[in-house]
Amino acid sequence: MSIDVKDRQKTFKAASLMGPRSGLPTVVDSDGEKITRIRPMYYEDYANWESLNPYKIIAKGKEFTPPKKSLPAVYYLSYKKRVYSNNRVKWPLKRVDWNLEGERNPQNRGKSKYERISWDEATDIIAKETMRIKEKYGMSAVLAEADMHGEGKHVAPSHGCMNRLLALLGGYTVQMRNEDSWEGWYWGSKHVWGGEPVGQPQPSGNVWPDIAKHADTLLFWAADPEVTAAGFEGYVPSKLSYWLHSLGQKFIFIDPALNFTGVNQADKWIPVLPNTDAALGLAICYVWLTEGCYDKEYVKTHVVGAEPFFDYVLGKTEDGIPKTPKWASEKTSVPSYTIKALARHWAKNVTSLTIGNGGPGIRGPYSHEHCRIQSILLSMQGLAKPGRHLAKWLEWALMSKDYAMPFQGIEEMNIPHRAELVRPAGALFDEDMIKEMNKRGMSDVGAIDAEEMVRRLTEKDFGFAEVLSMSDAQKKVGRLVEITNPIPTPPAQAVPKCMVHDAILNDEIEWYGLYSFCGPVKEQWDKFKFPEKNCSRIHMIWTDSPCMVTCWNDGYNFVKALQSDEIEFVVAQHPWLENDCYLADLILPVQTKFEMEDICDDATSGGITSVFHEMAACPPVGESLNDFDCVAEVARKIGHDIYMRYTANETTSADCVDLFWQGSGVAHLDTEDSFKNKGIFFVPCKPDMQETIPPGYRPFADDPENNPLKTPTGKLEFTSTGLQKHFPDDKERPPYPIWIEKGEFHDESLSSERAKDYPLLCMSNHGRWRFHANLDDITWHREIETMKIRGKDGYQYEPAWLNTKTAAELGIQHGDIVKVYNERGVVLCGAYVTERVVPQTVYVDHGARFDPIDPLWLDRGGAVNLITPHAISSKNATGMVVSGFLVAVEKVMDEEMGAWMKKYPEAFARKVDPDCGVCLDGWLV
Amino acid sequence: MAKAFVIDVALCSGCYCCQVACKDEHCGNDWSPYAKPQPDTGQFWLKICEKPDGTIPKVRVTYTPKLCNHCERPACIAACGKEAIKKRDDGLVLIDPEICTGCGKCMDACPYESIYKNEDSKLCQKCTGCAHLLDSGYNEPRCTEVCPTGAFQFGDESELADLIKGADVLKPETGIGPKVYYRNIPGQFIAGTLFDPIEDEIIEYARVMAVSGGKIINVLSDDFGDFWLRDLAVGAWDITITKEGYEHKHFYNLRTDECVNLGDIALDRKA
Repeated sequence: MSIDVKDRQKTFKAASLMGPRSGLPTVVDSDGEKITRIRPMYYEDYANWESLNPYKIIAKGKEFTPPKKSLPAVYYLSYKKRVYSNNRVKWPLKRVDWNLEGERNPQNRGKSKYERISWDEATDIIAKETMRIKEKYGMSAVLAEADMHGEGKHVAPSHGCMNRLLALLGGYTVQMRNEDSWEGWYWGSKHVWGGEPVGQPQPSGNVWPDIAKHADTLLFWAADPEVTAAGFEGYVPSKLSYWLHSLGQKFIFIDPALNFTGVNQADKWIPVLPNTDAALGLAICYVWLTEGCYDKEYVKTHVVGAEPFFDYVLGKTEDGIPKTPKWASEKTSVPSYTIKALARHWAKNVTSLTIGNGGPGIRGPYSHEHCRIQSILLSMQGLAKPGRHLAKWLEWALMSKDYAMPFQGIEEMNIPHRAELVRPAGALFDEDMIKEMNKRGMSDVGAIDAEEMVRRLTEKDFGFAEVLSMSDAQKKVGRLVEITNPIPTPPAQAVPKCMVHDAILNDEIEWYGLYSFCGPVKEQWDKFKFPEKNCSRIHMIWTDSPCMVTCWNDGYNFVKALQSDEIEFVVAQHPWLENDCYLADLILPVQTKFEMEDICDDATSGGITSVFHEMAACPPVGESLNDFDCVAEVARKIGHDIYMRYTANETTSADCVDLFWQGSGVAHLDTEDSFKNKGIFFVPCKPDMQETIPPGYRPFADDPENNPLKTPTGKLEFTSTGLQKHFPDDKERPPYPIWIEKGEFHDESLSSERAKDYPLLCMSNHGRWRFHANLDDITWHREIETMKIRGKDGYQYEPAWLNTKTAAELGIQHGDIVKVYNERGVVLCGAYVTERVVPQTVYVDHGARFDPIDPLWLDRGGAVNLITPHAISSKNATGMVVSGFLVAVEKVMDEEMGAWMKKYPEAFARKVDPDCGVCLDGWLV
Repeated sequence: MAKAFVIDVALCSGCYCCQVACKDEHCGNDWSPYAKPQPDTGQFWLKICEKPDGTIPKVRVTYTPKLCNHCERPACIAACGKEAIKKRDDGLVLIDPEICTGCGKCMDACPYESIYKNEDSKLCQKCTGCAHLLDSGYNEPRCTEVCPTGAFQFGDESELADLIKGADVLKPETGIGPKVYYRNIPGQFIAGTLFDPIEDEIIEYARVMAVSGGKIINVLSDDFGDFWLRDLAVGAWDITITKEGYEHKHFYNLRTDECVNLGDIALDRKA
């Protein structure tokens, strides 16, 4: 017997949850109307395996080779539910009490519902409003929020198609994303070891094979490859960690929670109170100094400024406190004998430290101090000697000419995309990075022609937005210039994403060092302000794939800012009605990438790199258009000339795919027309990569004089010469790193006075079953017990992890509805009582969807970023703080819930799907 | 030749890909006459069961995928009064949705609780081994195909013989010949950390001996002072901790119905 298994149409798709250049190919079956299933791709169906030179890491008698099929993360396999979610925006929506000609009711943003309108009406409104704002305040009154955490697409990308249109209308205001994945390394470690542009070791090529061959121990310091790597790479990192463990490497997890990798791979779990890791690091250093068990010779030849830091650790400086294991034990809750054991184990065994862009390194108050101390510890044991690295489980190809895993292709590829990340005039770049990016055409970080760049660096006031983000290969395809770069004027000014609320609510703001994403260290010395001279304050916001309330700092304050009557119009474009969409006056329905044609590259999975053609897997849902066409429809209303320039004379998606392939950098290798005939071209692995590319900072380790780092002295700087020169009196980021229990900007320790009212530390990380604020609506995930907790009222609450002991002290039982709160507001969660988290802590992942009861202070969805601290990382470091902050947790009693229901009957009456949660129907009138 | 599943529990990362891929295949897709759609939520033709053990910081989680065991002598077939359940030549057991009346007798009979009652379609339903795909030329069901670590495999029992050797089945006492084999199901553990409270140091190389009935297990504490007595049978264990220069320490009659973390144990120096 055999039946129609509905696989006659097969298309390739990557979910690409972390923007362009992320993701791996899957095969999507459909019957032409509806997606049937999503499966791994078997590479041998499309190419001869041996001809791809699959890499082989050999260590301790065992081999690691890339899988012969893609290993999609669970999110990919459930994406059908995302496409057909009942939370999709199906048609243009307008907030019922926002009227173009009448009352705008900004105070009702986040409260009032929506009505369906036509595309014609919607685009009319946006075109008229944009031109009215331009006329009244100038284009700088329009803020474009377009910077990641949505789907990665190329032909019609999320994240910035509106940039193209706004730039055609004149210099607007660009929201400059803070370095949300790398805050601590960016603002901290960069001052120890350079590591331009993000502050993590650079170069980082070939480090994993070196670790496999030489390391005895891997420290997972807030690293969870099962979670944070999955959205980028799929599950090759998972396979890699199982393999490394099978070699006999000892896996030690330092983490407030036993994370999803640790649950069955940890040889040792050291629970630590959230964001006290800097104290732990200092005590490790103390043990090494007092017992002499560090690489003194290496420090002598490779380090400057060690003495002042060592004096601080030993208590010989002003504070007079030796940073002993006993001292650290009180702060971290780790027994002092365990701290000593850890320090000695690290000193005795060849150890690499592994990270996953999570934890205190990016998310805590003063994250730069923890990261600097981490860098110093690695340096004290001979950084980049065999098996001694800082290695990442993800972003293996990030801004490095060489990959951390040996899946690098024989030639570098990069697919252009039609929404450049633009920077305001005067933004700086690291010149080497530019040269590198230019070679690769790394359009997602705004690469440009290197010579042109240097010229413009010397002609100060020239805007960069105009210049071309073209690799050499791309420049050969003439029309690409026209298609990808129509921008005649750069944005007039920038606002740091982590300070957008301040920019709206304050007269003016100032900050240091964030005027371009991934800027060079020298940008950190410069002060910027908003509004710029001759520029306007913000009166209109155009946002795509928005997630400020669910991923950024002090979300309730962001709501307050958007309810300001200064903000006359907010337009959002997004496939789903979620996150900041409720704050918009008008919402455009966007197709998911499964509904549109595109081209994609896999430079991240760790398997075999490839470029593939993505056809639409199903017809569009509702009246949705792709991101590019949403903006094009507005451009059409503004005027024919603008429309033709925006669309580069109506270039079609199919044309773009063809041109982007020609400009991919690898088209010339495809002698058998595989891309055209089979829809995918695999780039063979560089065969001699492991022999020819030194691992990470090895050249520096071998010969520091001739291979200097990108620090001012070329050496590892335990005391930063740059910080000493520019911020000698900064108490929160002094020249050498310190423990800050309480500072001018943050007071988030258990020893604080505030802890009397808010006695728990809240930790937050990437969710296991979401990617940032994506995928919270997948019913098949929401029934997994660590994804949601169904309360006694039937609502699926976001889990708040509490240690058994802490829960008992609070009188809370597993499954209780609880409120997690502080001065900034209340977020409702479901208690998840477990032994997997340290006491005195509550752990709530970020990214649960906002379900406002009162949008200024009470949320039922569990979007914990609503109550994250307002202040930036520290006085002169413009990052965000979204973990390691004080809260209280209490059981919600029936009387209190009843009172809320009485006070907010409309919010509680909104339809919520029992299995999907908040949904479109709940927000329609 | 009978088909079988083999699951290496030690390699299961708990990613839930198998559970979700099963839903991707069977929710909203009608594969009659093999099966009608699986309900979107609440039922699991393949279910990951996760079990946490121990207390902080000696904790682990074990993930065990559970599904229809496609038994050699299925209890469900015997229980069904309508002859709706059939065993195919390849050993897969299918409930025919055309014949099933949803009476639920098979559910009661299945010792593995792998059959669900679909209240919408009034059918009893369960894993089909993705027989509709196998019959269309696919090599394996969705659940095993998506397993990233290779923990979950499917094939002819004879081809999997090496993996099946020494593997366990769930509830072997039923004697109905289940065809889902589990490798490396972990036993219980007793663990702890040894330290010297005066010196404020961990104690390495202490001998920890566990005795239960005639069984004796010895381990040494490691450089964190940790000891792990793993893969213990459920029962009552006596523990003796010895280290030169320290008083012996005993724990008697420790029950291992649950895993035991003895916590941080101070050893006293001999006078």
